[in-house]
Amino acid sequence: MFKLRAAFAGLSAVVAAALPFHAGVTAASAQTFTKQVTIIVPYGPGGTSDILARLMAPKLSEAIGQPVIVENKPSSSGNIGADFVAKAPGDGHTLLITDAGTLATQPNLVKKLSFDVQKDLMPVSMVMFSPYLFAVHPSVPAATLQELIAYDKANPGKLNVGTSGVGSVQHLTALVIGKKYGIKWGIVPYRGGAPAIRAVVSNESNVIFNGALATLPFVVQNQLKGIAVSGDKKLPTVANLPTFKELGMPVVEAGSWQGFLTSKGTPPAMVAKLNAELRKILAMPEIANKIKELGGDVRTGSPDEFAAWMTKAIAEWGAVVKAENIQIDG
Amino acid sequence: MDLFANLATGFAVALTPANLGFCLLGALIGTLVGVLPGIAPITTIAILLPFTFTLPPASSLIMLAGIFYGAQYGGSTTAILVNVPGESSAIVTCLDGHQMAKQGRAGPALAIAAIASFVAGTLATVVIATASVPMTWLALKFNAPEYFSLMVLGLTGAVVLAHGAPEKAVAMVLVGLLLGLVGIDVNSGAPRMTMDLAGLADGIGFVPIAIGMFGIAELAVTLGKPQDRSLLTVKFSNLWPTRADIRACVPSILRGTAIGSILGVLPGGGAALSSFAAYALEKKVSSTPERFGRGAIEGVAAPEAANNAGAQTSFIPLLTLGIPGNAIMALMVGALMIQGIQPGPQVMISQPQLFWGVIASMWLGNLMLVVLNLPLVGLWVSLLRVPYRIMFPAIVLFCCIGTYTVSNTVFDIWTMLLFGILGVFFYKVGAEPAPFVLGFVLGPLMEENFRRAMYLSRGNPWVFFDFIERPISAGLLLCAAALLVILVLPAVRSKREEVFQEE
Amino acid sequence: MTSRLNVPDLCFAVFLVALGALAFALSGQLSIGSAAAMGPGYVPRGLSAIVMIYGLALGIRAIFSGRQSFPEIALRPILLTSAAVALFAVMLPLVGLAITSFAVVICSGFAAYDVRLRENAVVALILSAFGVLLFVKALGLPIPIWWR
Repeated sequence: MFKLRAAFAGLSAVVAAALPFHAGVTAASAQTFTKQVTIIVPYGPGGTSDILARLMAPKLSEAIGQPVIVENKPSSSGNIGADFVAKAPGDGHTLLITDAGTLATQPNLVKKLSFDVQKDLMPVSMVMFSPYLFAVHPSVPAATLQELIAYDKANPGKLNVGTSGVGSVQHLTALVIGKKYGIKWGIVPYRGGAPAIRAVVSNESNVIFNGALATLPFVVQNQLKGIAVSGDKKLPTVANLPTFKELGMPVVEAGSWQGFLTSKGTPPAMVAKLNAELRKILAMPEIANKIKELGGDVRTGSPDEFAAWMTKAIAEWGAVVKAENIQIDG
Repeated sequence: MDLFANLATGFAVALTPANLGFCLLGALIGTLVGVLPGIAPITTIAILLPFTFTLPPASSLIMLAGIFYGAQYGGSTTAILVNVPGESSAIVTCLDGHQMAKQGRAGPALAIAAIASFVAGTLATVVIATASVPMTWLALKFNAPEYFSLMVLGLTGAVVLAHGAPEKAVAMVLVGLLLGLVGIDVNSGAPRMTMDLAGLADGIGFVPIAIGMFGIAELAVTLGKPQDRSLLTVKFSNLWPTRADIRACVPSILRGTAIGSILGVLPGGGAALSSFAAYALEKKVSSTPERFGRGAIEGVAAPEAANNAGAQTSFIPLLTLGIPGNAIMALMVGALMIQGIQPGPQVMISQPQLFWGVIASMWLGNLMLVVLNLPLVGLWVSLLRVPYRIMFPAIVLFCCIGTYTVSNTVFDIWTMLLFGILGVFFYKVGAEPAPFVLGFVLGPLMEENFRRAMYLSRGNPWVFFDFIERPISAGLLLCAAALLVILVLPAVRSKREEVFQEE
Repeated sequence: MTSRLNVPDLCFAVFLVALGALAFALSGQLSIGSAAAMGPGYVPRGLSAIVMIYGLALGIRAIFSGRQSFPEIALRPILLTSAAVALFAVMLPLVGLAITSFAVVICSGFAAYDVRLRENAVVALILSAFGVLLFVKALGLPIPIWWR
């Protein structure tokens, strides 16, 4: 019995030591932060938002002199977590890190959204952008966008896009591109990005728009055939692939945009302080390198710039949603 | 003799003192969170993730994998002792494991669970080391029609799980299927039967249902029957399985391992079936199926073996394709990516030390777990000597905390309460919860894959039966049909016998 | 008292019919689509109809299948266990884990017929401290210890 207890105590000590949030707070305390700060991740553990939050939380804790904990409030759309932050007191102690692109599609997509994306949430700072890789199964005899368009004309009904879910940015991207080039592909929703990749690698569906880092190895291994990369920057490992911008494709900026938001009513000085601290953290080489390894490009900016980005994204995706008449709430 | 060279590389990595330490630490933490009902290994892994950023990639993966299968071990302990399952595989362990505990055979149940897991883990490690490539091929052969047919086979077998009235088991499967549909429809995005509750948008949670129907309901029912509680305090004369127990279990463990190894490879859904399938098979091949559900030791050994073998082989798609088969594997991908390693086909070639080191550590982890758990059996059993009036509030509290941590909302607690009350009702009317849970888990997957297959074939149902293009799907449906005949025939025959006797 | 009613079976049948009817009503507005392109309502409506019909069949059989009364239900453990779980759901967001744990243990302790007042209080104190140390301190789960 004694040994077990000793082992247990040792174990607890090790676990506690492994958790930076439980370490005593030593940094000079900013007067504005009076208690523990919670970062809400509106998805399950392991996603991009979750990893970013857990990467940055210890640094934020050091900077503001208060413990910072990460809490998952998962749902497929991210709306349960966002709703929680929207309804939290406006004191800057509850933050949301989420896929800002997905958040921007919600007001037009979901009929009965329980919060107002622009009024109930205050943008704090953008964090990173990670482009989509546009790829097909190797059995599809097309290596460029033009060949793919020609293939679809000759073989209607053979192409199916696997997406991470109904109404997801991937889904909307496939709709916009299909419409622009007259490609009549089927759109097959899956439960997230990983099942979608599985489906396309195993040729259940055969076209995909998915986060570059997760998709890249399959292109390198010739299990998928790359067509293009979203955004305006080429990827070093597949420098032969053109960007959406070069091809003159629509939705150039489709991809994963991660950003921090907080509750409405937070004093502007608090938001500015949070923004400044987050930018400092994103400039640290160890954080910036990890984000690069996650396949992202650090993107920062003022709260106003983020707010402007949101307004633009809501309008752009809103137009797509309305044109295609997609609706998620019954 | 590539294999031996590879394994040697692997053990060279896994046997360094540091990595042994991380393996042990992972196994310990995993056992701890596994024993606590509802605390998912995924939560723990997520919390430990920042810590692993500073470790070498092999060490971090070894530790995280240790948590994963440590939790599988710990989960069966709680299932056997107090009938609280933390995940779908543990539900099958509850069926006979907890009955054994009630009969004063908690020791043998726990020991056989540990032994079965260890044997299965060892064999599965060999499978991973030798057959990763063909197993990967199998995983890629499974598309929407195959998944649908597999689920049909699984549900046909669900009725075998019940030891009571089969017509009630069928009803429970149907209820499970129906409740599994609650939530946003994957194919159309429409919310179904959610009553506008945000907490139901992603469906009814599995953990609140399982803990409510098994754990809370069992507690409330047992407390109302003082005579049942005295069973929990019978003398535990033997802690270890008898020689006859072991002999009965050897074939069960082997069959369980085979089923688990194959189903574990299939991403999304295969693993959920493995322990159910192993249990159903044991009951079917047994010469005394009536013992199942009343404390048959094979009913603990086979699903435990299947579950652990499946947990191991679920690493195959991750290691060879870079495709995570479940949420925990997705988290491991995250851990590797932070380390600058992209999991995928190239990992085996470009990072042989990582790949084989992890495989070797799986076996070492299983060894550690069995060494760790067998001595603990006595301690766990002595826990049952704590008066029930003290044990009971502790279980209620831990069930609540565990359910809360799944998604950090009290909505799940209310769900657990509702299903606890429903569980008592089902118990009183003689309807068993296990077929319900299988229907609940498989229903959404079945519908999703059915509709996806129909969409991809542009409405042609022939895809499911096409022996030339889709031999696996057609074969699975054939098995389901055969199973149905086997299930119906004895009932028909016994009816006829009854009729003859009456005459 | 010569009825041939099987009460448990009849209760179960009523439950099935009620659940099927509820599900049928709740999925009423969902589009059904066609067999080739099923809408979100196709499977729920079909399945809830099957559950209702199955329930009806079981119910009819229960009426003629022989007398069996409903098993006795011990109300105290069920009510107090439920109350303890409900207490957890209500109190946790308000006052945090420490006080909630204490209340839950006290309440569920009374579900047992042989509860001992002082022992229960001691157990509640110990479990409350143990819960906080284990779940919040050692495992680092994001549960509030006190009110926020």
